[in-house]
Amino acid sequence: MADVIFSDVQKRFGSFVAVQNLNLDIRQGEFVSLLGPSGCGKTTTLRMLAGLEFPTSGEIRIGERVVNDVAPGDRDIAMVFQSYALYPHMSVGQNIAYPLKKRRVPKAERARMVARTAEMLQLTALLDRKPKQLSGGQQQRVALGRALVRDPKVFLLDEPLSNLDAKLRGYMRAELVELHQRLGRTMVYVTHDQLEAMTMSDRIAIMEGGALQQFAPPQEVYRAPANRFVAGFIGTPGMNLIDGALARDGNTWRFEAPALQLEARGLGPDARPGEACLGIRPEALTLGSGALRGVVQLVEQTGHENIVVLRVGEDLRLTGRAPGHTIWKPGETIPFAIDADAAHYFAAGPAGARLNARRSGPHESGDAISITNNMREAHQ
Amino acid sequence: MTIRKIAFNLFAWTIVLMVAFPLFWMLVTSVKPQSELFRRPPTIMPESWTFEHYWRLLSDTGFLRYFTNSVILSSATTLIVVAIATLGAYSLVRYRYRGRETLAFLVLFTYLLPSVVLILPLYLLLVGLGLSNTILSLVIAYTTFALPYALWLLRSFMAGIPEDLESAALVDGASRLGAFWDIILPQLLPGIISTALFTFILSWNEYLYALVLVNSDSARPLTTGVMNMLITSFNIEWSLLMAASVMMSVPLIIAFAFLQSYLTSGFGAGGVKG
Repeated sequence: MADVIFSDVQKRFGSFVAVQNLNLDIRQGEFVSLLGPSGCGKTTTLRMLAGLEFPTSGEIRIGERVVNDVAPGDRDIAMVFQSYALYPHMSVGQNIAYPLKKRRVPKAERARMVARTAEMLQLTALLDRKPKQLSGGQQQRVALGRALVRDPKVFLLDEPLSNLDAKLRGYMRAELVELHQRLGRTMVYVTHDQLEAMTMSDRIAIMEGGALQQFAPPQEVYRAPANRFVAGFIGTPGMNLIDGALARDGNTWRFEAPALQLEARGLGPDARPGEACLGIRPEALTLGSGALRGVVQLVEQTGHENIVVLRVGEDLRLTGRAPGHTIWKPGETIPFAIDADAAHYFAAGPAGARLNARRSGPHESGDAISITNNMREAHQ
Repeated sequence: MTIRKIAFNLFAWTIVLMVAFPLFWMLVTSVKPQSELFRRPPTIMPESWTFEHYWRLLSDTGFLRYFTNSVILSSATTLIVVAIATLGAYSLVRYRYRGRETLAFLVLFTYLLPSVVLILPLYLLLVGLGLSNTILSLVIAYTTFALPYALWLLRSFMAGIPEDLESAALVDGASRLGAFWDIILPQLLPGIISTALFTFILSWNEYLYALVLVNSDSARPLTTGVMNMLITSFNIEWSLLMAASVMMSVPLIIAFAFLQSYLTSGFGAGGVKG
């Protein structure tokens, strides 16, 4: 049915390549996030799917149909804009009814559908108001209502929560997930907020510089980032990334950096001796015991836990997590250990590919809930 | 605090009086009998009111014809200018094409030349087209100078309308034209109204082009018409002139009174967040 497929899609604005050779296969009913820093091409990708931009080359399909040349209104999609884009001169009711009106739904039917949607989103009392008389959260629901009223095949959401305050954003996240479960429709969600992407998506497409970096479920993106960019982008606080070199000694590998040596385990066939990058999640550092020594630089107390920045050797900074009751002061030297089994290795360079072997060890198949919990705490 | 307030009020009222007095004098002169006009010292309020000048103007002179000409001329110019400027502004703001900015600047180029320089070629052109001494010739001439400014005015209004609104309408199933009609035009209404008002006033008060391009009473607008009939080298009919001036101002005052709420209300504000 409504699979969304991008095949070799490229978009140029003049000489600027906004999206390059994008291949994405979104399954029917899936909730997919396009995640990346601003300017990474995620919004352009969404706008191409909406028909508001046209790909320079490649093919976009919705279901069986190639939609490259199909007008936005004929694609059977609905879109929620970051700005909400409510029509200021129309009432809430007229706003929600507009897509129906444009599709020549008879008036009585239209009124019934608007009433049903308004009820679902608790907008019934507001139907006669103008958008500017509503709060941000209410405007957001009207924008959702305008998308929902028609029951389209694919929903496109362009950073719909970014203008809400933190509390409302958390609430709307849950609402959207529930809505997705109830409707079972394909949703493509653009965000720069990894927390939104991690908590809501079935799969996340991480983009950078117009190129897709990884397209995988949240756990996999977190546990097995495809390259150094993804590793650094996902996770709060971010993964420690240490430049150094891999050296081979018979069957064992070692990772060597000026301030740190480590036995490198679980490397895959792509690993070569030479420059490489070690990645360690803050939770893979055990603080307070171990053979290594570091000087506490900074302690961020979040209540439940402390985020501790250590200086190791001359200029290596490592971030770790410790329980909230630990009391280390800046300047104190403490022991710590690195869980070598949880280490990630990447080829040299800003987008160096992952060198770990594919496997389903304890660190790559953990439950998603503990990750999202970590992320949630880190976010607050 | 209060002293500053009083000083400010005094200052403001002085300016208001300076602006309003000539208008008041025009009104008063138009209802004074001829005998009272040049009395010394002058009477502030007329001792006896009369509407004979208005009556004479309407019954004995070509005033009504000039008035009709002016209404047709200004309305037609406004309609054409606003229609072209709206579409032009839409194109300049929403489409990306080569030379877009250059085009926008070239349009303003006509403003660099004084109208006296443009008027002769324009006259020859219109004569060549067989349009001399017609209202249409004035409509064309006025369009040439009102359009560039209208275009720039509407362009800035248009740029203030978020593109998302139009995108949303397209996704909701509207055609480009449908989105323009349903969404852009209502949002642009304050801009269109101020542009229309500006164009109307400009055409209504224009004198030079009307003087050069039209030399027959059938097409003469109010500005040149009134001058022609009331100011001769021997005599200026002050009462009639003032009555004519009052009546010339009335349409503009009415238009302003009705439309000023549109001009100030900022209709579209608050529709889009962020």
